[in-house]
Amino acid sequence: MDKTITELHEELKNNHVTSQALVDEAIKKSHEVQEKCNAFVTILDDAKGSDVTDDLLSGIPFGIKDNYSTKGILSTGSSNTLKDYVPFFTATAIENLMSHGCIPVNKTCMDEFGMGGTGTTAHTGVQKNPWDPTRMTAGSSSGSAAAVAAGVYPFATASDSGDSIRKPAAYCGIVGYKPTYGMISRYGLFAYVSSLDTCGVMTRSVTDAAIVVDAMKGIDPKDMTSWDSSDIHLYQDLTKEVSGKKLFYIKEIVDKNHYTNLPRETEEHLDNFMKTIDIVRSLGIEVDEVSIDQDILNAIASTYVVLGCAEATSNMSNLTGFSFGPRGEGNSFQEIMKDHRTKGFSSLIKRRFVIGSYVLQTVNQERYFKNAQRARRLIVDTIKEQFKKYDGLIMPVGTGVAPKLDNTDRVTDDELTPLEEHLQIGNFGGFPSITIPNGFINNLPVGINITGNCYDDQNVLNIAYALESKMNYKNQIAKEVK
Amino acid sequence: MEFNESTIDKLADLLMIGLTPEENKMILDEFAIIDKNIDKINNIKGIENIKPMTHCLDDFKCELREDIAENSPSIDDLLANCKKVDGREVEVPKVVE
Repeated sequence: MDKTITELHEELKNNHVTSQALVDEAIKKSHEVQEKCNAFVTILDDAKGSDVTDDLLSGIPFGIKDNYSTKGILSTGSSNTLKDYVPFFTATAIENLMSHGCIPVNKTCMDEFGMGGTGTTAHTGVQKNPWDPTRMTAGSSSGSAAAVAAGVYPFATASDSGDSIRKPAAYCGIVGYKPTYGMISRYGLFAYVSSLDTCGVMTRSVTDAAIVVDAMKGIDPKDMTSWDSSDIHLYQDLTKEVSGKKLFYIKEIVDKNHYTNLPRETEEHLDNFMKTIDIVRSLGIEVDEVSIDQDILNAIASTYVVLGCAEATSNMSNLTGFSFGPRGEGNSFQEIMKDHRTKGFSSLIKRRFVIGSYVLQTVNQERYFKNAQRARRLIVDTIKEQFKKYDGLIMPVGTGVAPKLDNTDRVTDDELTPLEEHLQIGNFGGFPSITIPNGFINNLPVGINITGNCYDDQNVLNIAYALESKMNYKNQIAKEVK
Repeated sequence: MEFNESTIDKLADLLMIGLTPEENKMILDEFAIIDKNIDKINNIKGIENIKPMTHCLDDFKCELREDIAENSPSIDDLLANCKKVDGREVEVPKVVE
């Protein structure tokens, strides 16, 4: 299970291993990782191997984030409100994947309904980073990140509304790819922020990410925001020929001199980023430093919080406990519903609902919700203006390595917020965006992110593919730091 | 409408969720930060003249599908996750007295 999809396919085709043996190994490893990282809501102990065909994914086990509906398999979104919910249909993205012959072996934990970036709010407990179990994985795709990094299988599905694929990928030393909004159908994905939610994947190589998203994508009559990508062949068209491409990074976020009190670890992270930029330049790619209005950068995090709270409030109103979910107690339907929602949602979720409800009130809409939507356009237009000159934006992911779960090393500094949260730009614009590992600080992985214009997924993957080939972090398995 | 403890409880009631005093305070504290940060948006020059963005893709076209009848999920499937069922229906307490 420490191999890539193409390597496993070769072994299967040459009868060096059977699909059942791979499935059995993934299940055994799932139990080991569950013990150490608490990565799974469900482990499918009775999963069976499949026929091996010429399809690269045939016979290969994988994981599914628990906010994808899976027919006949518990799908909780890591929430007590759905702790016993078993869907009667499967999400289109998962149906598409499974039509290629790959086999789900577990459902992975996540921050409740995707609302969190720490991997600490699942109803089944906290996910721990396989590199160092005292540290977080980040979220919301916490279980998928831990499982892929620990070598349970070569890939797991994930979803991304703020940075839920791309930040956990960095903290766990793997690849996280969020395609252009709508490339993969959201039908059957539990809605959180519908205007930002994007299906995607976590792998240990860019090639594997291309193979898996090729299999997940496609227009779907059940998702009106999906679009026809039949002329895009991510794996087939992967190339390291990227000389002549142009990238930019944002000066106000990356320049160390911009900060008055930079933590040492963040300084090393930014130094490491600049070393990676030298490697990018050695590929023949031009990289420029571009200045973006600080007011616009400062607006990113607030825009996300307001939009996220508002859309989540609306999306979760169907969770009543009547037709599905645990039934609440009480004498009236109001009492029963309130009991279900009070006991079912964590404090974090309740917080977001109340704030979302407030910003959506008619008297408050202009100040909060509408202005957040206006700021979203301003941020997106600013980046799109740069995409007229550049093939993509290249940036460091977060402020450094995975923080300690006990928050003892957590840095909260307004100055660092744009560095911590800039990946949300990718969701505001629906941009394709990929994180790949680019080194270590104190023996813990850090990541770099490449984001391009809408529909330009191939370009983004090609640049990541070429860069990955010049570094030594492809297909790495987590080695616990002692 | 001022955002205070009483407002939070009223909103929570409308949302059909109960809050502990600790949760109420947590929301109050978090909102104070959001309220301060929202000014970072509201102070952007000319923000009021920008058209609110509701969808990622500029060229997105909302196209109506053909009106083709499809099989609906079976009643049994739909009720499989329901805790209280009466025949083909979800059982709920009496709503109209």
